[in-house]
Amino acid sequence: MANRVYPLICYISRLTKRLNPRLMTGIILISFLILIALLAPLITWYPPLKSLVGKPFTPPNLQHPFGTDDLGRDIYTNVIYGIRTSLTIGVSSVIIALLIGVIAGVLAGYYSGIVEDVLMRLTDMTLILPQFLLALVIVAIFGQSFQNIILAIGIVSWPGIARMLRAEFLSIKERPFIEAARAVGLSDMRIIFGEILPNAIPAVIPYVVLQVNTAILVEAGLGFLGVGDPNVPSLGLMLNTAQQYLTRSWWMALFPGLVLSFLVVALNLLGDGLIDYMNPRLRKR
Amino acid sequence: MSPLVAFVIRRLLQYIPMILVVIVVIFILVRMAPGDPTYILVGEVGDESFVQAARERLGLNKPLHEQFLIYILNVFRGDLGYSYLRSESVSKLIIDRIPATLILVLTAMFISAAVGIIIGTISAARRGILDISLSLLTLFGISIPYFWLGQMILIVFSVYLGLFPLGGMISVGMDYQGINYALDIIYHLTLPALTLAIFNIAFTTKITRGSVLEALTQDYIITARSKGIPERRVIFRHALRNALIPVVTYTGFNTGVLLVGAILTETVFAWPGMGSLLYDSIRLRDYPVVLGIFIYGSIMVIIANLIVDILYGILDPRIRMR
Repeated sequence: MANRVYPLICYISRLTKRLNPRLMTGIILISFLILIALLAPLITWYPPLKSLVGKPFTPPNLQHPFGTDDLGRDIYTNVIYGIRTSLTIGVSSVIIALLIGVIAGVLAGYYSGIVEDVLMRLTDMTLILPQFLLALVIVAIFGQSFQNIILAIGIVSWPGIARMLRAEFLSIKERPFIEAARAVGLSDMRIIFGEILPNAIPAVIPYVVLQVNTAILVEAGLGFLGVGDPNVPSLGLMLNTAQQYLTRSWWMALFPGLVLSFLVVALNLLGDGLIDYMNPRLRKR
Repeated sequence: MSPLVAFVIRRLLQYIPMILVVIVVIFILVRMAPGDPTYILVGEVGDESFVQAARERLGLNKPLHEQFLIYILNVFRGDLGYSYLRSESVSKLIIDRIPATLILVLTAMFISAAVGIIIGTISAARRGILDISLSLLTLFGISIPYFWLGQMILIVFSVYLGLFPLGGMISVGMDYQGINYALDIIYHLTLPALTLAIFNIAFTTKITRGSVLEALTQDYIITARSKGIPERRVIFRHALRNALIPVVTYTGFNTGVLLVGAILTETVFAWPGMGSLLYDSIRLRDYPVVLGIFIYGSIMVIIANLIVDILYGILDPRIRMR
């Protein structure tokens, strides 16, 4: 047990000791956005997605700070709930990707030979395919529901995680303490999940954060092409609607996109900050 | 057989199975989807006799393995089905759109490679305020969703300033010939290419900067400096040259991202490429075309990767041996 917890404690204590400015900004911005997402019902004054809470195509004013859209829905409300949707989709789809990626990466990294060959060929092939288009095809033919979007994005984003984990496994399994674990006769499962995985995870964390980011952008891109769940407020779908009225209502495009960019900037800062933090060679300069 | 030819053949044999994987993925997905696969392969046409005829033709009433063989043979013959909604074969619809997409992708690729490498090197060489502000710009360039950036650029430059057209590839009804025709296309291309390039410049800058920084820590840089070579020469001749390898890899293997970028950008500017076709097909629920675009897009990306791989083998003899 101590073996499992110790690396994590080390990791967290190192984390709080020396934060670089990017990481710091990232953490603050993301906490702020998560807070907004959690408090959505308290800081908005219309139900999300409700039509005709105002006159359609109203420019920004006091009742509607971001204006209203073609159906008279309040853009401010939908944008705030949109953050919620983006974060939910980003995190849940990455959890799915992690489940598949950890299994594939761990197996390929620990067992050499045919298992590794087959898994890595499969990973490489999936990595080359345009993942966005694959997600789009999945959602388009399986139905445009919230769950399907999460599943589709999760299914297309596992290969990157698998590769990273495999690389970590390959280097860690050669270290003396693994040899020691083998020598005392620990089972493969114990070695994989009790010894190697906890040591491999820190290196993968920044990548996972950036993957959440990609997932959010994929969801927005799908929404922008009209592939989304119309019953859930989505920043991408809002930009899709806005596209039809670009010449008359700029606010329909401006605000959802601004918030989406803000979200992505925050996650990029967090991810890049973590990478810098983990790579001391680059950090010193 | 010369080693180079052998190398090319080996690579070809590695990449062809990937196309097979694409087809298998599509086949499995269509069969797993809820409802009758005929509607996905034909589109929602409504006419029952049509659907029945298509079912016969695609062999959908035969056992699964026969369906699979029929499907693979059809794809390799270039037959991706027929779009009943548009009365046109799917392949023809897509192939007609490929040149426009390629123009956009290649223009953006060249602009971003040139600009990104220069900015990235400068950013790495000059630490301090310039580097920090360039890094910030890069961060925004990477983060801002380019389709939204395109919308903003369109609103400012076309809707409010009226400097550029609202969309399309040529001015309708002008019938330009020769040089004017080319100029007209460039005029329409400017904003979409700029949008796509901005995103990619940011990425190229980021990769170049990291790569040059890495190269600057190497021993041969210390050697070069201690020999008294001017700093500018050290950076551009010694560091950048070695730093370019990851940048080139990135540019080559990034085609998939750029293709998706083009698809989204085209939608904003109504640029008549594969993206606009995809957008319309999603709206019309013209599934055969959506599937076709995935297949063609994947094949384009596979070919681009193959080209980069082979170029590598030609440029670097060590890789050929592996």
